[in-house]
Amino acid sequence: MKLIIGGAYQGKTCYAKEKYNLTEDDIHICNGTEIDFSKKCIDNLEQFTCYCVKNDIEPVEYFKQHREQWQNSIIISRDIFCGVVPMGADNRRWRQQTGRLCQYLSQEAESVVRIFCGLEQKLK
Amino acid sequence: MIVFICGGSKSGKSHLAQDMAKALCKDNPLYYIATMIPFDSEDKEKIRLHLEDRYGMGFETVECGRNILSVTEKADISGTFLLDSVTALLANELYGNFENKGADTDAADRCIKDIRELAETVENIVIVSDYIFSDAESYDESTQLFRKALAAIGNSIAAYADIVMEMNYGIPTIHKGKHIYETVF
Repeated sequence: MKLIIGGAYQGKTCYAKEKYNLTEDDIHICNGTEIDFSKKCIDNLEQFTCYCVKNDIEPVEYFKQHREQWQNSIIISRDIFCGVVPMGADNRRWRQQTGRLCQYLSQEAESVVRIFCGLEQKLK
Repeated sequence: MIVFICGGSKSGKSHLAQDMAKALCKDNPLYYIATMIPFDSEDKEKIRLHLEDRYGMGFETVECGRNILSVTEKADISGTFLLDSVTALLANELYGNFENKGADTDAADRCIKDIRELAETVENIVIVSDYIFSDAESYDESTQLFRKALAAIGNSIAAYADIVMEMNYGIPTIHKGKHIYETVF
């Protein structure tokens, strides 16, 4: 699995599409549902953790349960960790759960890159 | 030479940018493009601190809060320019037209095009921008527009710049052009 992280609008999806020759059809864009692991790429992972917080799902547990299904995936998540602690309890929980999931995935990943202004920074 | 420096607030990016511009200029003119149009005492204080910081470094100040390409009419293009910052320039271009209260939605494209043309016209330029993209806050539409536009301009500059650096706590990370950086500085 390859993990791609970075701030908002930094060009993460663009980078993944170019680097791994992905079409729109290869990408599962997370929103208010479970993840379609049949797609090569899972984008907007932070929206999945948002769904988890609203539906009492432990994101790390969820990923552990589906471990076999994402071993070859490209996973993209937005970096939401460098601001002020959010005011709302749900937002705080969302930020924490996203951070925990990203830590788990970065351990599991064969590579981790951060995208900064459209440029790749290899973290692992 | 085109250098792009991006970082959080008070990360030391202006200071680094000044040093790099100074090192690049050799004996040619050195210009500071002042992008901030002061509105209140807080802005004026910020400008005073920046002025103090670059006092004695030999910068000639060129006031240019909007229409950044007009710099080429006010200064010698064989000089070295410090554009600090893209953030202030974008704010002026987006909201500067006060007769029309809303944001100018063409501002981002105009900034992308004009900054590139300026960067490719002058001998050397060091461009500074703010990194405001890694928090968990949800913003109103107008702030989102601003963040999205600032990112688009930053990504565009990073693509053609010779050197791209990120500043954290006064410590630079070179994302692009490490070899050029080591040769020149």
